[in-house]
Amino acid sequence: METNNTHGCALCDATWGEYYREIDGDRMFFCCNICADIFENMVLEVKKRKGWKNIDHIDLKGNFSSGRQCTARSGKETFNFYFRTYSDGRMMKFEER
Amino acid sequence: MTFCPVCGLKFHSGDYRMLAEHFIEQSRLSDFRHVSWLNRNISKNLMKAEDLMFSLMAFYHISGGIKKWIINDFVKRFRGDSPHPFILAMQQYDPEVIRGYVVEHHHFLKQWIRSCSYVIAKTELDDVQSYELENIMTELHGYGASEPSHHELLIRMGESLGLERNFILAEKPLRQTAEAVKIWNELAASGSWISTMAAMHSLELIANRDLSTHGAKYAYFNPSILSDSRVPAAVKAFLMEGYEADVSHSYVALDFVEKYAENEDIEEIQYAYLRSAGAFSDYLEARLERGVMLGNK
Repeated sequence: METNNTHGCALCDATWGEYYREIDGDRMFFCCNICADIFENMVLEVKKRKGWKNIDHIDLKGNFSSGRQCTARSGKETFNFYFRTYSDGRMMKFEER
Repeated sequence: MTFCPVCGLKFHSGDYRMLAEHFIEQSRLSDFRHVSWLNRNISKNLMKAEDLMFSLMAFYHISGGIKKWIINDFVKRFRGDSPHPFILAMQQYDPEVIRGYVVEHHHFLKQWIRSCSYVIAKTELDDVQSYELENIMTELHGYGASEPSHHELLIRMGESLGLERNFILAEKPLRQTAEAVKIWNELAASGSWISTMAAMHSLELIANRDLSTHGAKYAYFNPSILSDSRVPAAVKAFLMEGYEADVSHSYVALDFVEKYAENEDIEEIQYAYLRSAGAFSDYLEARLERGVMLGNK
């Protein structure tokens, strides 16, 4: 799985930290475990809602305070959604948008 | 003494090199709190220790006084281009958000008077003591039936939205609120009166209408709420109270800080303010979460 954050953390693109987690078979870089938790929960929610087995690419725009507007792609299908979390990583809001 | 703004670790005064090394080490450990602080306050881009040292020096550099430094940081943190989610939520009237505000803010106000009491206990200055006494009276005690306390107005606001007084007073705080209260109490118990004053009264900037002159992009709440016919009078009364009071409260307190701060106080004041602001951010999230919890009942 790839995201538009190509420089650093798969969620926020920060290059601090040295945290890795395997998500859907890919070893992905995150700046911290909270970003990894948020990303993993977001991926699970997208797969659950769309019934997808895997996600090829996620485009994320936004930040912690405003939330993130995203587009996920699996094969030829796409899904637009918005989500925001609490500081500790728990989901505050997730909706198709 | 220089302090880590995240964990409170102490370094020699002005030793930003060691503070930078500390952050680099915590980044290697991927410590969420330190990494998050760097991302939000310094840069999302990894730096060498020396570059980070200069960035930290720039972050802490005071130009125009400690009051201005605090106001500028507070605006960026809560009411700037990327405002706190609670501020965004208050840009329209949402009873769910207000209910969450009521339940968590009760605990904030209880700690508020404890912190103000520490200021009174630790200073000999008459004007500071008088100021804090008046503040405690206004916030929790009030001046009779004609001038109810801010706390009483808070409870009435909750009652107007269906919450029972006994529930508001008895409900335990959410984890984020409890942790924030613990930080505020520790800062007040272990710190100087002047750092405590800065740590607590800077938080009143959240409702200060004058912050637009310091670059604030968002009001504390949408002022149209005050003239919205759907909004109960008790909600308007509470919001109006803070709307009017916190302009003077926050500025007057920070003027005391500015007036009495000696050079050797500055680093502790900056540390106490930053810890307090961090706790406040988490606490504001608790207001939102509580609102969702109550809304789902």
